[in-house]
Amino acid sequence: MQALRSYRLLVTWQALRKKAYLPLMMAVQTLFSLGIVLGYPLLFPTLDRTTIYLIATGAPAISMLSVGLVALPQTVGEAKSEGSLAYMRSLPVPRLAYLVADLTVWLAIVVPGVVLGVLVGAWRFGLDLQVSPLVVPAVLMVALTATCVGYALASVLPYMLTVIITQAIVVFVFMFSPLTFLPDKLPAWLETIHRLLPIQAMGEVTRGTIAPNVFPLPPGAFLTLAVWCVLGFLVTYGAMTRRA
Amino acid sequence: MLLEIENLTKVYRTGVRANDGIDLSIDSGQISGLLGHNGAGKTTLVNQVVGLLKPTAGSIRIDGADMIADPGLARRLCSFQAQSQVPIDGLTPRQAIDLLGQLRGASKADARRRRENLVDALDLGEWLDVDAARLSGGVKRLVAFAMAAVAPGRVVMLDEPTNNVDPVRRRLLWQQIRSLADEGAAVLLVTHNVVEAERSMDRLAILNAGRVIAEGTPAELKAGLGAELRLELVIDPRATELPVSPFGRSVVPVGNRLMVGVPMDAAGPAVAWAEFLQRAGTVEEFTLGPATLEDVYVAMVDGLGARSAEMEEGFDASAA
Repeated sequence: MQALRSYRLLVTWQALRKKAYLPLMMAVQTLFSLGIVLGYPLLFPTLDRTTIYLIATGAPAISMLSVGLVALPQTVGEAKSEGSLAYMRSLPVPRLAYLVADLTVWLAIVVPGVVLGVLVGAWRFGLDLQVSPLVVPAVLMVALTATCVGYALASVLPYMLTVIITQAIVVFVFMFSPLTFLPDKLPAWLETIHRLLPIQAMGEVTRGTIAPNVFPLPPGAFLTLAVWCVLGFLVTYGAMTRRA
Repeated sequence: MLLEIENLTKVYRTGVRANDGIDLSIDSGQISGLLGHNGAGKTTLVNQVVGLLKPTAGSIRIDGADMIADPGLARRLCSFQAQSQVPIDGLTPRQAIDLLGQLRGASKADARRRRENLVDALDLGEWLDVDAARLSGGVKRLVAFAMAAVAPGRVVMLDEPTNNVDPVRRRLLWQQIRSLADEGAAVLLVTHNVVEAERSMDRLAILNAGRVIAEGTPAELKAGLGAELRLELVIDPRATELPVSPFGRSVVPVGNRLMVGVPMDAAGPAVAWAEFLQRAGTVEEFTLGPATLEDVYVAMVDGLGARSAEMEEGFDASAA
């Protein structure tokens, strides 16, 4: 009961802190999804049907990754470096409540853009998306995994290193991750790496639940994501509760 | 004693020994100050009490309970105003204080009532509904104090609460700190401000290089110095050498001034000596007055070889 009360108060606190930027961040995330969906056809005027489906269903995953693995770690890293994270850790609230409250606000930032991006993509290309009910756990799982891993990065790394690594992640996610293309386009060694990382699984569960009629959902994708999600959460929770 | 710290030692992974066998105890109703130059180990000490850092050795007990074994209990029993600014940009003082009160377990109504009292007492009403991002550093410090005081724990720890606060509200702040103690809290306060410490604290501990080098009431600390009077000499810039004190007490240079310790029964000779130096052109002017805690602090820290730059910073802060 006390944990729930703390959670509610901390969500209020974090939402109020971000309120000036919350609409802007949501708008940017929405534009992010829309930019991918509407921008790729400008680069490549003749796209086959499968590629169009890949772009429309891959954009949400890229959007969630950009928040979870870039914006969030930079914000958390800054809070750590200026001492405000330590202040929050000194409050008499369960660390889990603080962590989940923060993740809730980040989820609220990312989800509207994901939904709108999919809808606009379907409208723009006249796609037949037979969205599965599994899309809800899929989107939550992808967003949660991205934010947990991002939080873990910021928790264990020094701030400047976090900033540098997140910049590298942007390039890696955009250019070398099988989100808007299939993994068989990658060199074999990179394909192997992606089998271990969570990014490919994020793309698979997103497109496998938004357009299951086009992309079958690989059986192990949710499991891979769950492992990374739990791992990210445990590292973050460990860093939050650890006394140096 | 409500808060008991014994043989507290903290060695960071870098090898820095920030606290080295500190013994300290504070009773309910007491305001105890931690004085020390930058890097003396003050913030490390309070961060251990509140459970942010784990001591290398020693014990911390509140009302007999082991705070090192149960850092969650430490956070419930301690209210904390950190040295860094609190993360409240985007919130108004009203929202921030109310939220903190409720997070510390107060009901919504109790938090509101207590917040109203604090805002009145600290004269913060005009900023009550202003976004904290637009508040000055001093007002933010007061809001941070109100957040620590809205639902205080049995121990209240304040890390440099008066920084950047204007002189009028600083007095109001000290009244509220005293109120916290009067209501039964043990207050541990970190400061550079020696003048305020002398005026407002019940007991003081002076930290240097992670060790407590002196502890007691301000009067006890001053008595320990042995110099009951202080002769302040303003040295003429053209003087080629500093005067040598005939009184056998501490002599501390601060900028273009020389603080000379003088025994109580040597007031007459001290004035005569100062007049002689003035006539000789060594001294521009002089003042004889009772020794202050600042003299004690500077003499002690100087005697142990602290860097002068850090001492100057301490003086600047106390003079502000």
